[in-house]
Amino acid sequence: MNLVNDAFLEIANSIENKYIKFWQDSDKKVIGYYCTYIPEELIHAAGILPYRVRATGHDTTELGDILMVRFTCSFVRASLDLALRGGFDFFDGFLICNSCDHSRRMYELFDMKVFNREGFNKKVPRFYISVPHIISEEGFGWFKQEVEELKEELENAYGVKITDSNLKNSISVYNENRKLLREIHKIRILDNPKLTGADALQISVANTSVPKEVANQELKKILTKLKASEGIKNHKKRIMVVGSLIDDLNFINLIENTGGLVVSDFLCFGTRNFVDDVETNGNPLEKITKRTYFRMSCPRMMDDHENRLKFLKKEIDSAKIDGVILQRINNCDLHGCDNMLFEHDLKDLEIPAMNIDREYVQADLNRLQTRIEAFLEMI
Amino acid sequence: MTSKTNGSRVIPYNMLAECVSTTYELVQRIVPEPEMNVLRTGLKYLEPTLIDCIQKADEGLPIIGHHFAFPAEYLYAFDCVPICIEATSYLLAALLPDGSEKYYDLITHWGHPYHTCSSQKGVMGMVLDDLFQFDVITTPTAPCDNTYASYPFFEYEGIPLVLTDMPFLKEEKSYEYFAEQIEMGLDEIGKIIGQEPNYEKLKKCLQIENETLKIELELYELRKAVPCPVESMMSPMSAAAQVFMAGRQEKLDFYKEIYEVVKRNYKRKETPLEEERIRSVWPYMVVFFDLALCEWVDRELGMSILLDIFSYNFYNEIDTSSKDKMLYGMAKKAMDFPMIKQSIEFYEDFLSYFVEMTRDYKADCAIFTSHLGCKQFGSIPQILREALRDELGIPMLIVDIDVGDKRFASIKTVKDKIRMFTNTLL
Ligand code: SF4
Ligand code: SF4
Repeated sequence: MNLVNDAFLEIANSIENKYIKFWQDSDKKVIGYYCTYIPEELIHAAGILPYRVRATGHDTTELGDILMVRFTCSFVRASLDLALRGGFDFFDGFLICNSCDHSRRMYELFDMKVFNREGFNKKVPRFYISVPHIISEEGFGWFKQEVEELKEELENAYGVKITDSNLKNSISVYNENRKLLREIHKIRILDNPKLTGADALQISVANTSVPKEVANQELKKILTKLKASEGIKNHKKRIMVVGSLIDDLNFINLIENTGGLVVSDFLCFGTRNFVDDVETNGNPLEKITKRTYFRMSCPRMMDDHENRLKFLKKEIDSAKIDGVILQRINNCDLHGCDNMLFEHDLKDLEIPAMNIDREYVQADLNRLQTRIEAFLEMI
Repeated sequence: MTSKTNGSRVIPYNMLAECVSTTYELVQRIVPEPEMNVLRTGLKYLEPTLIDCIQKADEGLPIIGHHFAFPAEYLYAFDCVPICIEATSYLLAALLPDGSEKYYDLITHWGHPYHTCSSQKGVMGMVLDDLFQFDVITTPTAPCDNTYASYPFFEYEGIPLVLTDMPFLKEEKSYEYFAEQIEMGLDEIGKIIGQEPNYEKLKKCLQIENETLKIELELYELRKAVPCPVESMMSPMSAAAQVFMAGRQEKLDFYKEIYEVVKRNYKRKETPLEEERIRSVWPYMVVFFDLALCEWVDRELGMSILLDIFSYNFYNEIDTSSKDKMLYGMAKKAMDFPMIKQSIEFYEDFLSYFVEMTRDYKADCAIFTSHLGCKQFGSIPQILREALRDELGIPMLIVDIDVGDKRFASIKTVKDKIRMFTNTLL
């Protein structure tokens, strides 16, 4: 089965799309945000569309480079560049958390340089939540208060009331969304996978860019199509990709055009997004907070490497992975160091792994291709 | 230097003590007083501090590694040897000809990305080389990605890691939360090393710190004078004193002695520079891999460094009247510690108070060392430069650097840039 030209997947190739336009034409708001540790269900319950900032297809960092030094993450510089050129002018709000040092500074830069630039007159409220860097009961107590404050701020800024019933509805929409993504993942890791890594990434990225109600409809259709398909038969090396953010096809295509098939991942636009659900009993806001905080972590959570490794091991096993590609965008210290530990962990487990750095705006394709080729030959 | 390195559990401290003692001896022998007074006084008090740590380690006291964002004096709630991970890497970088490079390379070969902070790399490499035998290591979850990313390595190496969660943003609730975290952290460390935290003992150290703070604040005031009565070397030396001598009598004595000289200079309207021609503020760090830079700017350029990030402290004295008040004050102090404060608040505050300070100190220019490791500051140089230019008409030079590794940008490159910049000012 080939998903090429599927209209839903196409959404992943642009920043805006018709659903956002339709949404805003019906006088509804969009809040842009960076990072995973955002309680999306809460924003959805306010009747607002949460949109994860990405820079797919944007291949310059020129304007971003003026404001951020060259040893910061090129994804963040590219997204800032895009913002400075008006790419996120459709945002009606902006939410940041202290995820990594690069993206959290967008709170200030968007305010000073993007939303305050000459000729841009829209008032864009900004919000910030402080997420603990360790996973503990005390940390949860702190985060709970932060999310409660955010709820109030959203209500005040947009004149809405977020009720428990709104929250419960959002939980069920988001849980259904994650369930569908998990089902797609299940058929991705079959012996004859029903979709490529590139397809999976596009599904995941498109999924963050439209209202979840729309996404759920589309995911169901895709799932039906995929289930009926034959699956990929030519036996390529089964690869798992781990590390820094990937929101466009370049890197995955590079692997898949070189003889690998990306059957699983540990990425923020990937498996990490759908492995855990919100519990449906009890106080809905508390349960949303709990899922956001105790979810499958990324390396910003300093005390959870063991758990991440456990996930990797399980996934390597169930997806019958031949080799793991640990990658980081240059200057990404969080993934760089987590990958360093994974490399040693995997070596101890005798699981083939390679550790590479790359730029978000991919310039050195030849170097990467040679390294990936060598790795695929070796495994 | 008497202690033997053989069998030592803190071999880099032996190396440091050796360097400090030979450098001190050299300065005493060949530099006429009162020249290089700050370096001389700093080394004079650093030497016994290091020797004391080595002896205590030899006696078997637990070795507690800590991030500089967890003030060393808090660890004196225990009978222990506190070792600052970041300061040890950098003091070695400052005093040894090839600095900590061997250790940076060791950990880089082990897989640590080249773009992470050299302040942690040094001791990480030393751990791989079995030079430290830590009983436990502690860090708050601040100030930067390098901290969250690098410290799990120690745990990977089998060293117990105690984390205290420091929230972003300083508000009342942050102080209360972090105070609890400190208390829990000390309890956890105590369990690992088999001691109860002794708050009476800690109190004495906090009182020494309170005394020292008063002098530090007076020194900040005196540094505003034209000409500046303080040597530029005060910037790296105060950073070293803050960490290595924290909570100790040596720190108080160091500041007292410096203060006397500065006060005398001030009264006489004298400066340790031959002639103060330029007044500079360094919003960030000075260069740690070559301390001589500070002496060079004084002597060659006639440029005083009025302040750098480690020499503007905003914390209040700690109320030691009860354990709860102490913990609250400790949380506040840790969160207001130089570099931590600026990393856990929004830039708006940093921009406004830095512009104010630059005005207050009557500076002619700013020099920003944009350190490879510090991504949380990666988006400040340009907006700070604009703020200084627009509000005060003051230019700012940005130097890309690794403050602890000369191979990224050599001291010659740094000096050339500064010289060219200052030429445009004169
Ligand atoms: S790739 Fe790394 S540095 Fe870049 S935004 Fe993600 S966590 Fe931050
Ligand atoms: S120098 Fe910067 S990067 Fe290094 S530990 Fe300090 S704050 Fe972190």
